[in-house]
Parts: sequence; structure tokens; C-alpha cells
Amino acid sequence: MNAQSDSMRERIIALTAKVLKTDPKSIRGQDRFREDLGMDSLASLELLSCISDEMDLDFELDEAMQMQTVDDAAAYVTRKLADKK
Amino acid sequence: MAATGNEAIWDGTPIASDPIAGVLERARAFGARIAEVATSSEESELLELVLAQARRFASREINSEKIDAEGVIPDGVIDAARHIGLFGLTIPEAYGGVGFSMKAACRVIDEVARVDRSTAIMLGLHAGLGSRPIVELGSAAAKDRFLPGFARGDIIAAFAATEPEAGSDLGAVRTTGTVVGDAMELTGEKCYVTNARWAGCFTVLARTPGYGGNRAHSLVAIPRDTPGVSVGPEEKKLGIKGSSTASLLLDNARVPLDLVLGEKGRGMQQAYQTLAWGRTLMAAGCLGTAKGALDATIAHVTTRRQFGQPIGDFAASRAHVTDMASRLFAMESLVRWVGEANSSGQTIEDVSIAAKVFCSESAFEICDRAVQLHGAMGFLEPFGVARMLRDSRITRIFEGANDVLLVRAGTELFARHADVSAAGSLADQVASGLQPVARGWDQVRARLAEALDQGRSAFGLKVVRHQLLLQRLARAAINLRAAAAAIARATADQSGDVWLAERAAATLLAEADGQIERARAADDDEAVAVKVSDRLYGKEGPK
Repeated sequence: MNAQSDSMRERIIALTAKVLKTDPKSIRGQDRFREDLGMDSLASLELLSCISDEMDLDFELDEAMQMQTVDDAAAYVTRKLADKK
Repeated sequence: MAATGNEAIWDGTPIASDPIAGVLERARAFGARIAEVATSSEESELLELVLAQARRFASREINSEKIDAEGVIPDGVIDAARHIGLFGLTIPEAYGGVGFSMKAACRVIDEVARVDRSTAIMLGLHAGLGSRPIVELGSAAAKDRFLPGFARGDIIAAFAATEPEAGSDLGAVRTTGTVVGDAMELTGEKCYVTNARWAGCFTVLARTPGYGGNRAHSLVAIPRDTPGVSVGPEEKKLGIKGSSTASLLLDNARVPLDLVLGEKGRGMQQAYQTLAWGRTLMAAGCLGTAKGALDATIAHVTTRRQFGQPIGDFAASRAHVTDMASRLFAMESLVRWVGEANSSGQTIEDVSIAAKVFCSESAFEICDRAVQLHGAMGFLEPFGVARMLRDSRITRIFEGANDVLLVRAGTELFARHADVSAAGSLADQVASGLQPVARGWDQVRARLAEALDQGRSAFGLKVVRHQLLLQRLARAAINLRAAAAAIARATADQSGDVWLAERAAATLLAEADGQIERARAADDDEAVAVKVSDRLYGKEGPK
């Protein structure tokens, strides 16, 4: 992971912590939405919706379904932001 | 934490439900299995014996009116259930149980619920949510400790997930397990614990931060006699009054680590798997209650005379009875479908949710019609149908409130929109008498696919925030599944029930079509609802 991706991971973790009302320090990049963060599919997608709002990005439903970890979301957002430029 | 493979958010096992994914293929498999194994297997022979015993037990030992009035299942009834092995239905034979599959257990619970729902809930909870975590996930020590007692009924099982602040939102569970040396200490409060009065073992869902992720959860079996375990007073309820519902308090309750079930830290996912069992057995109970309501109704309308003839001879009564019977056929078909799917190793989370929602709503509707057809007598307790109506009400709430399940089912539906679009024709695969209604099924399925495409184009990922849209399309999908189950069953078993299947499917498809139409107005309805409710809540008034 380079500095840029570390920074994106931190942003995603901060948003995740905000949605889950928990301490960001307790969330790791490899945490899975479902098993580790205790979220069901609906809650996971709601979180991704919040991330897309914050980042001003449109997530594709089909692509969002493929994400299982915080790092997956960070990588996806990074890619979408690069595409946008 | 152990890696679990390439699991996406939707890995086929989410709690969201009822895509039409593979529904035709499953309909074929379902029909084939009914035709093939209906009466041939060893389990079926044993099932017939157990069903006969369960019928005798229900008719001789259970006084449902008395259980309801006194608010408890008498010890004698529990002893009689023990005596004929009803606590061992789903416990493996190696531990002294009957070792029934889900589908066979459903038949027995259905039979008991036909007479008394409280007793069916006690037995169903023990057979499903209460004991499955230990049967499927328990260590050898946990199995040896509990399963023989479960099989005999000496130890009654309970499952404790819900908390005061964590109902449908299980992710909010606060009960925490901490590893201390070679044991786990648990502290927290669980509420609405079914079987709490009798339970000798509680399977508890707890946060276990020491196991992997910061929000890792685990399922832990806790013996009742563990120091620090206490059970609250019985709740007073609207229905299922003989069943036990109470809170469970854990104050540094210390259990050995071999009572932590399954993979440590993956309790949430494992809880969802267990919930699928619980929901299916509950759907079977709904089926039994609905049968009881229809039994009572037929007895009443064929003997009660008004205007010189039995009221059952009037066209309006016949229509009620026909609607009840045809919906029952669809309920039974769907419950059997889940059982067959489970026996053949398929994931059943989606279809178990469909069965739970469909059967809980249908049972309530059937009981309501039963009350109506009994006239004023239906409102009086001694006639029984008032009790059935009360007993049915909770099933739309517990084990996942239907409102929440429908939102999740709708989310899942959008996630699998491609499967809905790609589904083939049901009309090509059914008996000739059912082809017209199967063509109707094809048309409604196509309209659902179109609605999903429209929702996806309009909202993308944010479709998850359009709850009315999700709920309405999920209802349509659940009705499609129930209709497919009824049609597939009638095609396969050739039992002469084609007319019931046809009637059930036609009604369900008309309702599904209505839901799809209403989905088009979902956003307008939501906007109005926000304005009206804001005003009612004392927030900003309508502009």
C-alpha cells in the first residue's frame, strides 16, 4: 500500500466508523463488512451509499456487490476517482 | 481470523431474500423430488409413525384453551412430548434423537401447531434455533454435554440473540464475551427469549472482540446453572400464551471455551444460518395453525344454519373457504420447497425468508377469515379461532420483522436482477391444465424484471434507500415463488389438487401484479408519508 491508498483507506475507515458509531481505531482495512463488522447485505450497501455520497461518486450496484472488505471499497473508490479525472 | 474464501457481500448466503434466481430450475428439482421420494424413503416410514404419535399426543394431551387461559404448558404435556420423543426430532440418532431432516421436522411441527401453537413453538424452537447451533457447530464436548439431554427433553434448548437495543439490527448486539484464561466470561442482557422458563441451555450471540475483528461475534452455549445466569419474569403476551418468553441476564457468566460454537468470531454469519432453520420451522407452525383454522371453519360452516341452510352453502362462504384452502396449498408447497432445498444441500436463506413472510401473513389472513366465518362466535374464546388469530400475530414480528425482511429481500432482488431477467418459461414445463396460469406467471415475472431494471436505472446503488419500492417488489417476488411452488407441486404429484394450485397461483399472481404496479408509485407514496408523518411527529408541518 502506498501513501495515497493508505489515505483512502483511512477515509473509508472514518466513514465506516461514523456509520457504525464506533471508534475508527477498531476498524482495519481487511475487516469484512459482514463477518467482521456485523453488517448484513442491506447495511453494507447503505454504508457504500454513504461513501458514494461523501466522495461524490456513483457506485454501480453490481460492482458494489463484489466488495467484501473495507480495503475493497477503498480500492474501488480510488479507481473511480481516477476514472473521473 | 480464518480466511473464508472469496465471499462478496452477496455470496449466496445473505439474509436478504427471494430473488427469482434459479427459481425454474429449483421448481423442476422440487417437483422431481416430490414425485421421487414422497413415500419411498426410510425417513418417510418413520415420519408416518411419528406423525401418528404426534396426532395422538395433540388430541389426547393438549387442551389449547386451557393452556391459553393459564398461560403455561402443563408439565404433563411436556412429559408426554418427552415420552414419545418429540424433543429429539432433529437431534442426530448417535445422540439418541430421531435425526429427522428439516422437511420431516416441519411436518411434525405443522401437526402439533394444528392443535396448539404454544406447544408447537416450544418444540419448534428446541428443534431449530435452540439445538441446531450445537448440532451443526458444537465441539465434541458441547455435543456430548447437551445433545443426549436435548434428545430426551431433559434439557430444553433456547436461543438468545435479541437485546433491548438490538432487535432486527443484530449488528447492534452489546452482550460481550471476554476470554479469561481457559474460559469465556459473558455479560449482557437478552430479551424475548423463547423457552426461557424451561431452558437448560441458552445459545447466546455475543460480541467477542478477542476473536478477530473488532466487531466479531460468536455463538456460545451457556448452561442455565452457570453462576451469573438469571432469567427474568415471564412476559405477558397477546398470543402464544402457553409458550415461555423472558429475559436472560448474564453477569460474568463463565463457561469453558469448548462451549464457544463453530468458528470463533463468525457467530453473526452462523446465527443467520441458524435463523434459516428457525424461520422454516416457524413457517411450518404457521401452516399448522392455518390448517387448524380451516378445520374449525369447515366444522362450523357445515353445521351452522341460517336462512334455512348451512352457511357454508352460500356462495360468499364458499369463496372464503376456497381462498383459505388454496392459500394453504401454496403455504404448504413453499414449506415443502424449503425442506427439499435443504435436503439437497442448497442455500435456504432466501427461500426460508420467503416462506416465513408468506406463511406468517397468510396464516393471519386465514385465521382472520375463520373468525369472520364464525360470526360473533368467532370473537368468543371457547370457539378457538380467536386464539388462533392471536397466536398468529407474533409470527409477522419475531425471527425477523416482516417489514425489515421485505426491505432486505428487495435489496437482494435488485442485486440479482439479472437472474430475474434471465429466467425461462414456466409454462413450458407444467401439466397442460396448469399452462394458462403458468403463462401468467411468465408474464408477471417479466414485469418484475422490467420494474427492477427501471429501479436500477433510476437509483443505482441508492435503491437501498427506497424502502417502499424494495418492499413492494419483494412481495411480488415472494408471491411468484409461492405460486411457482404450488404449480410445481401440482405438476409433480398429480394428486388431483391442480385446481387448488391453479386458484392459489392465480390469486398470488394478481397480488404480485398489483404490488409491481404500486411499486411505480412508491416514491410518491414515500414523499407523502414523510410529510404526513413529520406533522404527526410534531416536526415541520406540510408546506
